[in-house]
Amino acid sequence: MALNEHKSKTNRDIEEALGVIWTSIQRGNDDFEEVSKTVKQGVDENIIDELLNGKYIVKEGNKIKLTDAGEDLGKQLTRRHRLTERLLADVLDFNRQDIEKIACDLEHNLSTDLADSICTLLGHPKQCPHGNPIPEGNCCKNSSSKIESIVVPLSKVDIAEDVTLSYIVTTNHDYMHKLLSLGMVPGTKLKLHQKFPTYIVKVNETQIALDGEVANLIYVRK
Amino acid sequence: MSKLIAFVGNPNVGKSVIFNKLTGQYAVVSNYAGTTVDVTRGTITIGSEQYQVVDTPGTYSLMPLSEDEQVTRDLIIKEKPNIIVQVCDMKNIERSLHLFCELALFKIPMVLVLNMRDEALQSGIRINIKKLTEILGVPITCCTATTGDGVNEILKVIPQATISNLTVEYKNSKDILTIENVLKDKSSISKALAVYLLSGDKDIKQYVPQKLQEKVFKLVSDTVKDEYKMFAAQIFHDNNETILNIVSDVKKIKHRKHKGFMEKLGNICLQPFWGTIIMLFIIFIMYEFIGVFVAGFVVDWIQTKVFEELINPFIANCFDYLGTGGFVNFIKDLFVGQYGIFTMAIPYAFAIIFPIVIAFFSFFGILEDSGYLPRLSVILNRLFSLVGLNGKAVLPMVLGLGCGTMAVLSSRILETKKERMIVVILLSLSIPCSAQLGIILAMLSSVSYKATIVWLLCILFSLFLVGKILDFYVKGESTNFIIEIPKMRIPSIINILSKVKMRLVWYMKEVVPLFILATVGLFFMDKIHLLTTLEKWFSPIVVKFLGLPIETTSTFIMGFLRRDYGASGIYTLAQDGLLNGGQILVSAVVITLFVPCLAQSLMVIKEHGIKIASLVFVAITTYAVLFGGLLRFLLSGF
Repeated sequence: MALNEHKSKTNRDIEEALGVIWTSIQRGNDDFEEVSKTVKQGVDENIIDELLNGKYIVKEGNKIKLTDAGEDLGKQLTRRHRLTERLLADVLDFNRQDIEKIACDLEHNLSTDLADSICTLLGHPKQCPHGNPIPEGNCCKNSSSKIESIVVPLSKVDIAEDVTLSYIVTTNHDYMHKLLSLGMVPGTKLKLHQKFPTYIVKVNETQIALDGEVANLIYVRK
Repeated sequence: MSKLIAFVGNPNVGKSVIFNKLTGQYAVVSNYAGTTVDVTRGTITIGSEQYQVVDTPGTYSLMPLSEDEQVTRDLIIKEKPNIIVQVCDMKNIERSLHLFCELALFKIPMVLVLNMRDEALQSGIRINIKKLTEILGVPITCCTATTGDGVNEILKVIPQATISNLTVEYKNSKDILTIENVLKDKSSISKALAVYLLSGDKDIKQYVPQKLQEKVFKLVSDTVKDEYKMFAAQIFHDNNETILNIVSDVKKIKHRKHKGFMEKLGNICLQPFWGTIIMLFIIFIMYEFIGVFVAGFVVDWIQTKVFEELINPFIANCFDYLGTGGFVNFIKDLFVGQYGIFTMAIPYAFAIIFPIVIAFFSFFGILEDSGYLPRLSVILNRLFSLVGLNGKAVLPMVLGLGCGTMAVLSSRILETKKERMIVVILLSLSIPCSAQLGIILAMLSSVSYKATIVWLLCILFSLFLVGKILDFYVKGESTNFIIEIPKMRIPSIINILSKVKMRLVWYMKEVVPLFILATVGLFFMDKIHLLTTLEKWFSPIVVKFLGLPIETTSTFIMGFLRRDYGASGIYTLAQDGLLNGGQILVSAVVITLFVPCLAQSLMVIKEHGIKIASLVFVAITTYAVLFGGLLRFLLSGF
């Protein structure tokens, strides 16, 4: 568990480019020309050739494909990037505007072990603050870990324990909005009153009833 | 033109109570979030000036995500009220301030009303009004609307409304300003427009002046670059920071020694075990009060003592003075014949239905006003989730036990089309209205306790079977359960009475005319022998398949005109000894499951269109008959 030694500029560029390609393919865009153009603009003019030479990507027809090595690097980078964003936003309380820049720097310097530790600490978050999915790591699959999560879903909290709301994971705008408007704002103190037949949680002077699915979306810090 | 005042606020803060008290008009009031679905209008006079007033649906935010929120925001943009009165829950000042921050963007003079002072004091919450007034820069007044304490003060502060001087430090203020400047001078709401556009609100686009649209939209998308969600989150975050600062300045919580009785009771109602016991106890009381006492004893007393001994002979005498003759006989039949207005419609309406409806609405009013209903929705949430609904459906379903027509209207509080559809169909199929329920219970209790239980099981079985099928087949989403639990309080008699009165007035206006119309319709159907023709057509089904006497056919037809009409018809037949126990049970089940009344059907058409309504109609009739036949078959087997 230590920072990787400082990577050379080329290595960094390759990771960066693979991250962009991986995300792009995930979003359903695998057009070779289009993706190459974005990568060239964002990283370096020659990067696509380097990736082809290094057997990180292949061109099939007009589609861009990642090789196993490329896939792994791209996915890991995206994971580190999005985990860093979560860490900065939830635990370190950074301004949301500055998160992106810092995450872009840090992502290259985290080892897989360290990323897993952060992931566990944050309760294996599923989404970055922008609402994009965080790829699973080994730590998410086997939950046995020496580190205890400090951020957990509300459903894992004990009754009557005082906790602080960290973040809400949902792509459903309505729930997010409704919870926010009911006073479920990050940083608010919560107390769980009961778990059955529905969850009852006290926020400020208000009691709110939620079902289990919603309680799983609400991450709190112990 | 007189000035326009808009009442705005979070759900369940008492807007409607205040609106009613000030205007003397009725908006539906309940201790249940989201009861006001439409806007209600009225007028008030302050000094010598008359104001138009409009009550809006409760909303947590103007950032548009649900229909309710859009209603309120569109009203502000389109009608440009001269004054906004924001009603707040004093206990939950933080939440109200979120809405306040959003309202302040519109730069309209405002007044803040901190309601529920009594509950806030009980919770040990103290707000420094003087300081809050300074910070927000608008007049503030406190009241307890349920008791009327301080409500008249609101009239005094309304004319002093001012534009808030609160400015939130937005991290994205530069971006907002850029858009605002392009829009400037074209509209006084440019800042609000800018914020909504940048937050990715599509519906707001129509309010951007035509000429500027292209330029503004491009600028917006260049600035935000698809990160609308982040932008909206940042705005919320900035508002929140400002609010937390304000609240830490003005709010103090004094330590409370112990929980009050109502608070304890409120919590007990939420617990799985005791909550269920309390629910069963309430159902039992409801049965005893409405089914046994009112539908049995009171109705019987009014029927025999008032109608049969006093009114009917008097009216019959009056008509006897007319003499006889072709036309006179016709008139006599119309008023005092077998299907006469005075012999059928009026006694049914006033002797049977009226007491039952009053009893139900009073009972419902107590549950509603005390804050019990949201607790019931917690207890029943899991049960409802079996049929693709969640606990929120408690309100329309329980209200349906009062009046199905009103319940269909209230199904609008549900979030998705699928949920609304399921509720409307289940209401039509398996929820008897109070009038019908009262009669059915009276009728069944004359058979045996067992019959009542079998009837209940049949109805519940149908409810879950059909609900399950609907959940599977109706397209769309079911939503998750998120609901605010208000404080339990001792219901206020005045509130309940005014609600009962309002619902009764609605009932009289909407339902009693249909009642008389239905009787007249029946009368003419009888005159032109349509009734006997229909009886002939349907007799194979009724007599052979359901095993009921031929006379019940006309009661089923009446059942469509008015649910309770059909039930009363069967009740009369049962009293006359024409039905045996098994037949009473079968007809009670069929009439319960059978199509809803005319008024409710019209409401279903209004909400879901004629196509779906007819489909529902046919499906329900088929189901009711098949189920009745099956029940008869099973009963004859034992």
